[in-house]
Amino acid sequence: MLLVTRGIAGALALTLAAGTASAQVGLTSSPATVGLTATKASTLSVLPLINTATLASITDSSSANVFSPVTLTTAWNLKAGSSVDLVGWFATPTQALANGSDFIPSSQVEGRVGATAYAPFSNGATGGVGVANGSLVLFSQAVGAGTFKSSRSDQLDVRLNLAPSTSTIAGDYTGTLNLEAVVQ
Amino acid sequence: MPTHPRFGAVLLGLVGTLVTVPAEAQAGRLAQAQVLSLVLAAPSVLGVTITSGASQSIASLTDNAVNGFPSPVTILTNWNLNPGQTARVNLVAYFTTPSQALVGGATQIPSSRVLGRVTTGLPVTFTAISQGPVGGIGTAGGSLQLFSQAISGTNKVATRTDNLDLQLDLVGFPTLDPENYTGTLTLQAVTQ
Repeated sequence: MLLVTRGIAGALALTLAAGTASAQVGLTSSPATVGLTATKASTLSVLPLINTATLASITDSSSANVFSPVTLTTAWNLKAGSSVDLVGWFATPTQALANGSDFIPSSQVEGRVGATAYAPFSNGATGGVGVANGSLVLFSQAVGAGTFKSSRSDQLDVRLNLAPSTSTIAGDYTGTLNLEAVVQ
Repeated sequence: MPTHPRFGAVLLGLVGTLVTVPAEAQAGRLAQAQVLSLVLAAPSVLGVTITSGASQSIASLTDNAVNGFPSPVTILTNWNLNPGQTARVNLVAYFTTPSQALVGGATQIPSSRVLGRVTTGLPVTFTAISQGPVGGIGTAGGSLQLFSQAISGTNKVATRTDNLDLQLDLVGFPTLDPENYTGTLTLQAVTQ
């Protein structure tokens, strides 16, 4: 009997101790967690300093028809790719500039950046950018580890090459040259 | 080992009233009744449950800007406490490694760039998760106390729901590389 009583007493004492410890300062919940994900996408931009280039007076049968230069900045922040290409293109190559129903085709519009030679906007698309017979790659900048995040500033020169014997009708010729960069 | 009468005294010292322990039987003699008390304490309860928003994402980060996570984290905190032993329930949010709250590639975004707000709690405006621990919960420089709820007899058993709004402040931060930046924010309640 004494042994049985001791057993009961032991159980009671244990219960008491557990009750005392369960409610007190410093009680903590189990941790709950919030998963955070934020994605930074690759970026690529072309920003002309001005968006209008002018040529005050056209000289027929000459290549000395240079528009006012355009400074443009190309910036990129990439994760992959081997080059950044800047493409200039006219949407309708046969009508790069229009004066009513008189047109100057893109093959007679030439461009260059830096001190490179002028070349006509008469190539095909690059990396899906541009149109057939109306495009020109203005630069192709190699990129890789260490240069995936960078920018460059260029002066774009555009001219009409009406040599050797193209005559134009008096009037204002207007057109839109698209500038677009692409990663390859 | 104690004899029976001494053993009864020990029991009385431990507890209070109520249960009779049978005396050791002897023929023709009744033992004196011994009285024991049973004290059964219900275990205290303190829990934190995220009912929605446990996975937060920003689809497209903007450099040099404050980027908000689109939806709040809804937090249910429940407790069953003894107000005589617990004055407050605190909810703390923290990053285990404050200097690396979010990591993408080799880039680490510190917890000081992660802001939290609980309009029903303490940081009613967006505040950096860069404080110290509360009641031993959290990390130095990587914590934010979201609420501190006083406990009394009227709310010793209760729940509360709060919305935690989060932002990523990239103003003045170096331009991020294109990556997925991931991290884990821990929420934990503690009594004081």
